[in-house]
Amino acid sequence: MDDTMAPKTRSQTPKISPFLEPGKTTKVGSLAILQLSRDNLQPVYLKAPSGKHDGYAEGAVVNTRYGSFPHSTMIGVPWGSQIRASKVDTGSRGRNNKRKRNKSDDDGKEASATVAEEKTEQESTPAEVNDDSAAVAKKIVADVSGFIHILPPTPEVWTSSLPHRTQVVYTPDYSYVLHRIRARPGSVLIEAGAGSGSFSHASVRAVYNGYPSEGERKGKVYSFEFHEQRFHKMNQELKEHNLNSLVHLTHRDVYNGGFLIDGKSPEAEAIFLDLPAPWEALHHLSRRNPKNPEDKEWVSPLNPKKSAHICTFSPCIEQVTKTVSAMRRLGWVDIDMVEIANRKYHTSRERVGLNLSMDRGVNNSARDVDEALSRLTEIEARFREHAARSKESDDEMDGDEDDGLIKRREKKEQKGGRKRGGEKKVKIDHKPDSPESFEALPSGVPMWMEGRLITRGEPEIKTHTSYLVFATLPIEWTEEDEAAAAAARHPVIGEQKVIGLVDKAARKQERREQLQKATGNRKARRMERAAELAVTAEEEVGVVVP
Amino acid sequence: MHSLIRPNAWVGLKLPSGSTKIIQIVPDTTISLGKYGAFPANLVLGRPYHLTFEVLDKTPEEAFSRLRIVPASELHAEVIAEEDEAEGKTTAADRDANAVLTATEGEEFSLVDEQGNIVARSGREVIDDSAIQKLTHDEIEELKREGNNAGKDVIAKLMLSHTALDQKTTFSLAKYKLLKTKKYIRRFQVVPIDVATFAQWQLEEKDASKIMDMRAEMFGLVGCWGNVHYGGEDSMIDDPHSRTDQGEETCVPIQPDELKGRWLVVDDTCGMLVAAMAERMGVLYPKEEEGEDATVTEQAPAREAKQEVKTDAQTQNGTAQENGDVDMVDVVPETTVPERPKMTTTNKKQKVRPRGSDFAIPFSQTNTLTVIHSTSQPNLSLLNYWNFDVTAPNHPPHPLLNHLLNLTWLQLLKPELDTSYSTEPPTASAEELASWKPSRRGNFHRKRRRFARTRYIVDSTRAGNFSGLVCASSMDPISILKHTLPLLAGGAPVAIYSPSIEPLAALADCFSVPRRTAWTSGNVPETVGKSLEELERWEGNEQFPLNPTLLQGVSIQTSRARRWQVLPMRTHPLMTERGGADGYVFTAWRAKPAEGRVEARGKFKKIQPSSTKKAAKIDGEGTPVETPATGEEEDSATAGKRKRADTLPPLDTEGTPAPENAATGDVASPTKKRKVDGEAKVEEV
Repeated sequence: MDDTMAPKTRSQTPKISPFLEPGKTTKVGSLAILQLSRDNLQPVYLKAPSGKHDGYAEGAVVNTRYGSFPHSTMIGVPWGSQIRASKVDTGSRGRNNKRKRNKSDDDGKEASATVAEEKTEQESTPAEVNDDSAAVAKKIVADVSGFIHILPPTPEVWTSSLPHRTQVVYTPDYSYVLHRIRARPGSVLIEAGAGSGSFSHASVRAVYNGYPSEGERKGKVYSFEFHEQRFHKMNQELKEHNLNSLVHLTHRDVYNGGFLIDGKSPEAEAIFLDLPAPWEALHHLSRRNPKNPEDKEWVSPLNPKKSAHICTFSPCIEQVTKTVSAMRRLGWVDIDMVEIANRKYHTSRERVGLNLSMDRGVNNSARDVDEALSRLTEIEARFREHAARSKESDDEMDGDEDDGLIKRREKKEQKGGRKRGGEKKVKIDHKPDSPESFEALPSGVPMWMEGRLITRGEPEIKTHTSYLVFATLPIEWTEEDEAAAAAARHPVIGEQKVIGLVDKAARKQERREQLQKATGNRKARRMERAAELAVTAEEEVGVVVP
Repeated sequence: MHSLIRPNAWVGLKLPSGSTKIIQIVPDTTISLGKYGAFPANLVLGRPYHLTFEVLDKTPEEAFSRLRIVPASELHAEVIAEEDEAEGKTTAADRDANAVLTATEGEEFSLVDEQGNIVARSGREVIDDSAIQKLTHDEIEELKREGNNAGKDVIAKLMLSHTALDQKTTFSLAKYKLLKTKKYIRRFQVVPIDVATFAQWQLEEKDASKIMDMRAEMFGLVGCWGNVHYGGEDSMIDDPHSRTDQGEETCVPIQPDELKGRWLVVDDTCGMLVAAMAERMGVLYPKEEEGEDATVTEQAPAREAKQEVKTDAQTQNGTAQENGDVDMVDVVPETTVPERPKMTTTNKKQKVRPRGSDFAIPFSQTNTLTVIHSTSQPNLSLLNYWNFDVTAPNHPPHPLLNHLLNLTWLQLLKPELDTSYSTEPPTASAEELASWKPSRRGNFHRKRRRFARTRYIVDSTRAGNFSGLVCASSMDPISILKHTLPLLAGGAPVAIYSPSIEPLAALADCFSVPRRTAWTSGNVPETVGKSLEELERWEGNEQFPLNPTLLQGVSIQTSRARRWQVLPMRTHPLMTERGGADGYVFTAWRAKPAEGRVEARGKFKKIQPSSTKKAAKIDGEGTPVETPATGEEEDSATAGKRKRADTLPPLDTEGTPAPENAATGDVASPTKKRKVDGEAKVEEV
């Protein structure tokens, strides 16, 4: 085997971002996403248990409404692990804040939830410094209840858990954009308007094809942000996520400043503009100076050897009109505008029926006409029985009065009847919310399989995020290029064969030839197979008789 | 991905009618575009993609049509002129030399000839039924034959000879022009065959059912939620250098720690999903050599020679050798015969290369796709468009060769029943071998290689620890997850596409809150006393088809891109779009449940001490057990629904209005032992 096959050493490469390769277990210093519940995600930088931290004997602690979670319980576990809450003394922290702390109660009080949330925010700030590291971390005791799951960071969970700074580009949009602008491993991508960084994280995953060594060209994201605070925040995040060598972040107003890096071209082939006025930045993204095509000094930020694909992200139609107009004038082709509508669905069991448990979410009305009918028949029968009895006992009653009584009784019957009726029948003695409710119902169907499985959309739909304008800018192809290509490559000779859309006669002829060939092939194959069979037969004989 | 059109490349030709033709650019042939003309293929070779060409009229000296590159300014000339007109910037004289149909303020609409004179005007009158085209069919045909400035003359003449042209409104006039342009203008654009282009074509013009109606949005979602990306630098396994008389024992053992960045794929889209994922991992297109496109100006033979050298260099790492020596090549049903692209055979005369031992594994340990298929051969026929044929023996170099592993469900689940896995490899001494006929020798090596490879694929797949699962299959997703969930690493994402929502809903229901609560509260007798590992490989029963604790964050979504037309004063969404299957994506993460019993915590309120006692009784260990909460934090959807349901007038007159209490949480209810907040979490074991 030659050298290329030997495993390559990865020692000199920088630490790989947890977004790109999280490893099998959680590590100290790494970003982890805590999943508190389905849509409640919280990013945390795991800290080594180095003594007291912020008044906690256990070291750094994340407090949530589902319990307290010292970092030490979350380090070195496989990703996706369920983490139990621990017994943390949140009540006697040596801080002079006057908040009410009653988290030590394991069932918790209403108030504690809010307190916990506030603390949580504090804890998750990665900048927080651990100042008293003298004491040894306290031994941790698991709490009786409460848990969370710990997930590896991906752009999707990061986007859902993002500390919002600006409008976020969400997964339905960025997944489609990256697909359409052909952001692939090895691509160089320009992103303007880094914003909250959700698109940066998704795009760096898309273009990543290894960390670049000195002078090497690898997939990279050139990101630009105008807002200074956001720039600093984002820069810090990139460092913390080990992405700073893959994302080059610049603090710049791209309308005036353009997209060059130290006067050099990033040679990008994919562009994403999340700017209020993309048309003002577009002229920088040309092959030549649009104002003076002869300007030799002008440097294009685009890769001269690749078609460039762009997407702009604008919420308003006026922005789109202006952008598209500018694109047409700057020579972009295949201009296409779309908007993405994403919908989430929830599945649940629709439980309708008179004999179902009194659980929440159960619609205690008749399941079908038959059920309604039998109920009504029963009530009617009982009513008649009752009426007969009252008639016997109270013979002199006036008819009209009787009627009124009947009506009143009927009403009463209707109210209480169901319960009684239920008792008479096989009415289940079903206590809602009790552990027994998990056992099978008398019908034999367990509660979680009862009813019809339905899907329904989320209550509020994002009907509009932004308009996405896509376009392509081909390579510049001059007449000299064309002349060279025409002269040097494949000169036109007397072509015989026609491909593509040919007329009927030619197609028929081709088909005939194909059939001819196919039958020929088939014969040849048959012969071959026969020969092969002979060989295998021979071998088998050889095996049986050594 | 190359930026110039190379010989024998598959490309898309976008025609004015809006349709795309996918063809292979074979050098020295004529490409026919039907009514849009024909031209020699060599005229587009070596030119960049995304350019628009115009098929010129044949000159008397030449027997073929030449091409002209249409600059973008010309493509957009009309719209730009219209915009300028609206802003009052330009006059007719500034316009493009071609006849431009445009609106003049106050003058309604007009057709302008090359001198900028207005030759036709439009009015607001509605066209009556007698409005007809004066040119007869024969005259139009005659015009087309004459050679006519790439169809532009026909269009102009058609416009002018339309009797009712001056009665057309702006929009109908523009529409008429567009219609005629689509029909007669002889232009086309060459686009590269990448996943986005090809999938779009397959969906809209070919056979959507073949790729399970998967739209671009779905490829994006599945790829992102599956977290599919470049999985790290290739790491090959050292050749064990086993001799031919050595058997199984010299096979390379699996090194589970080296296996990284691997994704599981279940693909019933003829390889489209695999192609999309391979593109995301950077293993679909051959590596571009630095300066490769600089050879544009080189003479063709020189270029080919260079390619050959490169080929050899790549194959030397022993990766490409007879990867496809699949024994069933002949049996593969050629379902796709008519349009199945043939492999490019540029590498026919490969030199004899140093070959590794039979047990050398050609696969990388990182950045791989493992395809599990339900037939004996995977159906990945669409990969042929990227010059990869999974069934071809002696495959020319292709990145997928070292990064695509495939095995059958039988090999995964019952490898002992699979012949190629369980049959010992044949052995023979060197002398014996030398005495054999070449064909028998070939067979011998082939069997040994196949054995080693099957062994490696099956063992490494069964070792698990995959970085994610991506799936678009017509099989029941529950059955797929039953066998693939144990193979996923903790926290690994699962993304399953389905054209309809029902299978995904049934799957999501397996992880429903009540089911999970029931599972974790110890009410499933079969789970008692089983370890976590055993429960991970839970084989399922009627009530619990899957272990409901193995996935977290279960969610179903769909996306649809709505296309718009953007023109000055005429911007609106397209009137029609493809219907059919909506397409849904199921997403979740693989969870690792904690050992033992884990109670949920919610905002509980103890109301009646007696019921707590009761609960304590239930728990055998004597500690009071929190009543399982009814829900993982549900988003407001269900919560809202509940509230609505709860505020309905109580039907029960005898009991207290319990549901209301539970919803509002401020009235004590004697019948309930505690109220559970709507945002409480599920209890788990």
